[in-house]
Amino acid sequence: MERTFTNFLSALRGAEIRVSVAETLDAMETAELMGWSDRQGLHDALSMALAKTAEEKTGFTRIFDEFFAFESFHDHQEGEAPEGNGQAEGGDLLAMLEAGDRAALALAMQEAAVEVGVENIRFFTQRGLYTQRVLQQMGVEGVDAQIQAMGGQGGGGSAGQALQESRAWLFEQVRNYVEQQLSLQGAATSQELREDRLRRSRLGNLDRRDREQMRRIVEKICRRLVALHSRRRKMKNRGQLDIRRTMRRNYGNDGVLFELEWKKRKLDRPRVMAICDVSGSVASVARFLLQFLYELHELLNDIRSFAFSGYLIEVSEHFKDNIADKAADKVMQKVGYMPTDYGESLTNFRESFLADVDRNTTIIILGDARSNNTDPKAGYLKEMHERCKRLIWLNPEPPPLWGTGDSEMRRYRPYCDLLRECNTLNHLERVVNDLLETTQRAA
Amino acid sequence: MTPEQLEKLESIERVREGYAELGYICSRQIATAIYVASHLGKPVLVEGPAGVGKTELANTTAAYLDLPLIRLQCYEGLDEAKALYEWRYAKQLLYTQILRDKLGEVLGEAQGLKESMDRLHAHADVFFSERFLAPRPLLKALREPGGAVLLIDEVDKSDHEFEAFLLEILSEFQVSIPELGTIKAARRPVVFLTSNNTREMSDALKRRCLHLYVPFPDAPLEREIIQARIPEIPRHLKHQLVSFVQQVRELDLKKQPSVSESIDWARVLLLLHADELDPDMVRQTLNVFLKFEEDIQSVDAELYGFTRQAKKADGARA
Repeated sequence: MERTFTNFLSALRGAEIRVSVAETLDAMETAELMGWSDRQGLHDALSMALAKTAEEKTGFTRIFDEFFAFESFHDHQEGEAPEGNGQAEGGDLLAMLEAGDRAALALAMQEAAVEVGVENIRFFTQRGLYTQRVLQQMGVEGVDAQIQAMGGQGGGGSAGQALQESRAWLFEQVRNYVEQQLSLQGAATSQELREDRLRRSRLGNLDRRDREQMRRIVEKICRRLVALHSRRRKMKNRGQLDIRRTMRRNYGNDGVLFELEWKKRKLDRPRVMAICDVSGSVASVARFLLQFLYELHELLNDIRSFAFSGYLIEVSEHFKDNIADKAADKVMQKVGYMPTDYGESLTNFRESFLADVDRNTTIIILGDARSNNTDPKAGYLKEMHERCKRLIWLNPEPPPLWGTGDSEMRRYRPYCDLLRECNTLNHLERVVNDLLETTQRAA
Repeated sequence: MTPEQLEKLESIERVREGYAELGYICSRQIATAIYVASHLGKPVLVEGPAGVGKTELANTTAAYLDLPLIRLQCYEGLDEAKALYEWRYAKQLLYTQILRDKLGEVLGEAQGLKESMDRLHAHADVFFSERFLAPRPLLKALREPGGAVLLIDEVDKSDHEFEAFLLEILSEFQVSIPELGTIKAARRPVVFLTSNNTREMSDALKRRCLHLYVPFPDAPLEREIIQARIPEIPRHLKHQLVSFVQQVRELDLKKQPSVSESIDWARVLLLLHADELDPDMVRQTLNVFLKFEEDIQSVDAELYGFTRQAKKADGARA
C-alpha cells in the first residue's frame, strides 16, 4: 500500500502539485481514517490534504482518476477458455492463460510491474523495453516455448491457435498498462524538457503551436515573480526615535516611556511606465513582450504601458479589460506592423506623457532602436532619463548588432541606466527580477 | 473531545445531517473536511469566493459541537499584542504603587543592594504572572478548558509577519510567552482559517492545514440552502430564482452574486409577494445582488433571456 501511495505522490508531483513530506504523512493518516472503500470520500479527503490551490485541485482530480482507475482486464474473446492439454510447462502464466483467469493475470502483471520498476519510466521510447521486461518477469518465455512446441507438432490445432491469441492479448494488456504508467510518471520529465527548451529559445523563432505552452510559462514566471515581490516590507530605520508614536503607544502606561518606537518606512512597489515597440522588425517578439506586460499589470499596481511603431499610444486600458491574447491582438491592430519611427514616437511621448514622469518612475523601453534612418531625437530620451528614476532599455538584438545599419542604439545608449539584450524568456525573467529588486532597494 | 462530540462526528453522513438541522447545508466535501479535520486535529484553511458561507461554517461548527466560538478578525497591521496577549501595564503600575508599603516591609531589614535584590527575587515574578496578562483571542482559544472553535477570519488580509507567527500555534497548538514560558492548549481547539484569496498564502501555512475550497454551490445545493434559510419561500420562485442566479454567475462580472446575496434577494422577492420571477420586478431588484453599475447593465441586457430560461427550467421540471 505504501508503495502505491508513493507512486501516487510522484505522479502528483509530475502534475506540478507540490507535496511536502509533512503532507505525505497527513495524507496517509487521512487515507487510514477514511478507509479505501469510499472512492469519492477518499478523493475529497486526500485532495484536502495534498492539493492546496484551486488549480492544484483540478490537477489532483485528473491524476486521482487516472491513477486509481481500477484496470480490470478487458475481456478478449467471448469464447470459453481454451482447454488445456494437461502439462503446463510454461509455469503459472501458461496455466493462467489457459484458464483465462483474468483477476490472477492482472495481479501477476501488477506484481511483475513492481518487480521491474515500471514507475521509473520517463520517455515514450522506453515503452517497448518496459513492456518486454514485464512480460519476461511474468514468465512469457514458457508460453512462447509451449507455442513453438505445439507449432512444431504440425499445426498444433485449435489449442495452439487459442494460446497464440491469448499471448497476443496479454501483450496488448501489458502495453496498455505501461503506457498508462508513462502518461502518469513520464509527463513531468518531458514537460520539464520542453519548458527548458522554450525558455532558452529565441522568442522570434518559436512555432505557432508552442504559443499556448509559452503563454503558460509566462504565466508561471509572472506568478513566481508576484509571489516574490508582492510583499511590502517595512524597513526599520534603527536609531531614529519616533517621538509621536512612542508617546501614543505609552499613554496606557501613565505616560511613562516603557516602549520605544523607531521610525520605519514602508517599501512600495515601483511605478513603472513600459514602452513597447510593436513594429514589423520586432513583431514576433512584441507579442511576447506584450504578453509579459500584461502579466506585469497583475504584479505592479502602478504600471502604464504604451505601444508604438509609427507613432505612440497608451494601451494600459486594453490590458486592464481584456484577456491576454485579446489585449495583444488589439494593440497589434492599432499600432502594429508599421515602419518604426523612434523620433516621432518619442515626440508623442514627450508631448502627452512626460509630465507624468517623476522621480519615482521607472521607464522600460522594449525595442530594437531601428528607426528607418529617421531623426532619432535622442535629446527627448535624455529628457526622459533626467526626469525619471531609472530608464531601462531591453533590446531583442544581440549586442554586436547594436549600432549597425539603421540601429540608433549607440545614440540612445548614454541615456539608459540599464541596457540589456532580451530575446528569450530567461532574459526577460532576469531583467524583471533585477528591476523589482533594485527598485526595492533604492526606495 | 467529549464522548458526545465524538458521537456527533462519528461519520460524514452524521455531520451532514447535524449541520442541516442547524440550517447549514453542506456539500459532501465540506462534511468530509469537518470529519477529517476534527479526527486528525488539524486546522482547516477554507478558501473560496466571498459570501459562500466560510465564516458561517465556523459558526455552525461551534453551535454543533457546543463549543465557544473565538473569532480573530485579521487586518493589515494586526500584531501579537492584539492577537495573542498583552501585559496590563496600568494594572502593574497601580499595584506597585499600592504595594509600596508592603515592598518596604519585605525589604525592611535588608542590608545593601545585593541583599535587597535577593529578597525581591525570592518573591519571584509577581508582576509578570498570569494575573497581569490580558489574553487575546489566540491565547483565549488555547486556554479554554473544554476546547473551542477558533476562527481566524480573512487571514489573507494579515501581514506576512503575522502569518509566520501563526505557524507555531497551528502546528503545535502552543505559544511561547517569554516571561511565562510555553503555554500549551488545554484541549486542541478546532481551527478554521478563512481566506478570500486576495493573496496567496505561504506554503508553510498551507502545509500545516487541510485545504478546503468552497466554490459557488450548484443549483440543487443552492435550492436546499435557500429552502433551509427561508422555509416559507414558494417552490416556483425558489427554482426560478436559483436558475436565474446560476445563469448570472456564468457572465463575466466584476463581482459574482454570492449565496448570501441570493438569499437576500429571495427575502426581498418574498417581501414583494412574488410567486414567480417577472422581468420588471427582477430589474427593480437587481441591485440587491449586483453591486456594480457595469454588472447591472450587463445583466439587464440578458434579463429577458435569463428569465425565460429560468421559467423554462422550472417548467421542464414541474
